[in-house]
Amino acid sequence: MNRRDALQLLATGAALQLAPAKMMAAFREARAVLAAQSTLKTLDLHQDATVKAMAEMILPRTETPGAADVGAADFIDLMLTEWYQDSERSRFLAGLTDVDARSQDLFHNDFVECTANQQAVILNQLGEQMIEDELTRAEAAKSVGPPPEASSSFYSMLRWLTLTAYYTSEDGATLELHYQIIPDRHAGCVEITLPKEALPKEGPQPQ
Amino acid sequence: MSETTLYDAIVIGSGMTGGWAAKELTEKGLKTLVLEAGRSIVPEEDYVEHVPAWEMKFRGTGDRLRMRNDQPIQSTCYACDEWSSKFFVSDREHPYTTEAGKPFRWIRGRQVGGRSIMWGRQSYRWSDLDFEANLRDGTAIDWPIRYADIAPWYDHVEQFAGISGEALGLPQLPDSKFLPPMELNCAEKVVREAMAKHFPGERVLTIGRAAILTQNHGGRAACHYCGPCERGCITRSYFSSVNATLPAAEKTGRMTLRPYSVVHSLIFDARTRKATGVRVIDAQSRAALEFHGKVIFLCASALESVRILFNSSTTEFPNGLANSSGELGHNLMDHIMGAGAVATIPGNEDRIVLGRRPNGVYMPRFRNVKTRHREFLRGYAFQGGAERDGWDRGVKQTGFGANFKQSISRPGPWRFTFYGFGECLPNRNNYIEIDKEKMDAWGIPVLKIHCAWSENELALREDMKITAAEMLAAAGGLKIETFMEEDPPGFAIHEMGTARMGRDAKTSVLNAHNQAHDVKNLFITDGGAMVSSSCVNPSLTYMALTARACDYAVTQMKKGEL
Repeated sequence: MNRRDALQLLATGAALQLAPAKMMAAFREARAVLAAQSTLKTLDLHQDATVKAMAEMILPRTETPGAADVGAADFIDLMLTEWYQDSERSRFLAGLTDVDARSQDLFHNDFVECTANQQAVILNQLGEQMIEDELTRAEAAKSVGPPPEASSSFYSMLRWLTLTAYYTSEDGATLELHYQIIPDRHAGCVEITLPKEALPKEGPQPQ
Repeated sequence: MSETTLYDAIVIGSGMTGGWAAKELTEKGLKTLVLEAGRSIVPEEDYVEHVPAWEMKFRGTGDRLRMRNDQPIQSTCYACDEWSSKFFVSDREHPYTTEAGKPFRWIRGRQVGGRSIMWGRQSYRWSDLDFEANLRDGTAIDWPIRYADIAPWYDHVEQFAGISGEALGLPQLPDSKFLPPMELNCAEKVVREAMAKHFPGERVLTIGRAAILTQNHGGRAACHYCGPCERGCITRSYFSSVNATLPAAEKTGRMTLRPYSVVHSLIFDARTRKATGVRVIDAQSRAALEFHGKVIFLCASALESVRILFNSSTTEFPNGLANSSGELGHNLMDHIMGAGAVATIPGNEDRIVLGRRPNGVYMPRFRNVKTRHREFLRGYAFQGGAERDGWDRGVKQTGFGANFKQSISRPGPWRFTFYGFGECLPNRNNYIEIDKEKMDAWGIPVLKIHCAWSENELALREDMKITAAEMLAAAGGLKIETFMEEDPPGFAIHEMGTARMGRDAKTSVLNAHNQAHDVKNLFITDGGAMVSSSCVNPSLTYMALTARACDYAVTQMKKGEL
């Protein structure tokens, strides 16, 4: 059942022709299909596409899932809607506009229409800018302030959101970090037994 | 509405000390009413330590806008996060006031178990270096007890609670009755070796002494290293009232535990000179209730217990019940914390930690132990520990793509932190009073808190930063960074001293058995009783003092003295 079928089923009452048990099952399936749809609250479709593209560039699918696989953009939309204050949301959305301004300036295209190499140029630019901003801010406020994600530039926010979305997702935590809710055991200092390429954060997988 | 039952004892508060009072009094045969202002806790429903981040709406980053609105003070505490914020009070329902320019951060939990649910679990004995400190340097008044008076009670509470740690034989930090210690990790072992080499006989790094079971103990299971204790513990592996003392009290069949019971004040009978009962506002119905008992244990925390006494003024005690000394509410202390240093400890790059040890390292006090420091009295201890940097280091990096992802998914450098906790001197000018202008959600006048660090505390904090960096340098640390968080008093959540013990009724509120000089059947066994603050975490001492006071109270009752 796809989204259109589900909507049709719920709207027309076609399922009422079915036996009661089947009807309930059909309604349940239709509701599940609709619930699984992305229902953006803050980002428009173009902004969503830009966020998706940038997040996937930061953490792409490799032998493990990537940012898109874990729905990073949906998490970012939720955070923009219900976690950030108005001023922070505005800063983020202005940052997205600026991404397109940069890509138009350099490549005469919106970010999502650029080639992978062109997009990498933009991300590198944003990274350099982020480091510069960080230094300026560190100079300005030589004391402990609010957490970095709260006062940061667009790109710093995007990076924090993307990494958080990924590494706190079930796939990111279990497949990438080998996180176990209840660990096998505690040991303070053990040699890593897996090949270096698969080196986990939390500990080796059970043999 | 007045209940007709006459209880043998009424315990006000069910947190760290209230739980102990409930256990000790009921086990000694007393029919005991435990009044708790907050809700009940059902571990199977309320404990959330095994709920992973991906099942949380904000993935563990917290419901930030709600918390900023409802818990702007509470949410500054690390433990008040998306999982555990429900164990902290609403700041809107529980206001307090401070003097302009003198902030105080009051972190509170109102539920059965109180703050024992989300406490830090660090458990250390005091020594005579602490009990004799005021006398030795001429500060405030002398403690009416010494280490020998409390040592058997440390034994008593430790054997029940279960304290894991390493015996060191240090005079300034006596050993507990330990369960096996948790293990230091790779970088911590490196630092420990370096301390032994560079500061022999002076500075020693050991595993934190924690009220967490490293083996099955008293019907509770050993820790399984899931990590976030402050969210609860369904295996009851760390000590809390809910996990340990309240079930023991319940088992006697003599405890009546009444949640949603906000104590307004005590009832004082001027004829018998006793506190005969407690005025309660039911938190749900707002009904005014009265309960009566033969002895009353105030275990509501240093600030709440005194607030109740202030709100219990009579013609004889116009400035608060049991306050003929005028010391009630004065001498408020906390620990000064938040200075130290962090460094990368090279080596062991091919090694990791398995599991999430809910405990850090500890370096016992070394200042003013064998030698005298010229710039300050007393001293400080370090907590902290090492861990390998995680994925979040990637936020501030500029990389992206497959290599970046692989790189930050791997453990980063070993980073070691020393974080100081310093002793706070008793100072009469740090005090609390009732703010008659402001009420809490139950119409009870709130506290106004007047508290600021003294020069001595600030000097300790400055020294923490310097010695932490010096030790990390000695340990071969790289990228050493010092830090100083300028937190206001209160934030160590070790508030104490507001109803101090002493030998003289003219200068203290309680005697050597936590019994009010003025009201013989009234005991205060929470942090209020403390005469000085030491630099070690205080809960274990509160527990021991509570058990000791319960023993005294029951002995006196049997003699007919109470």
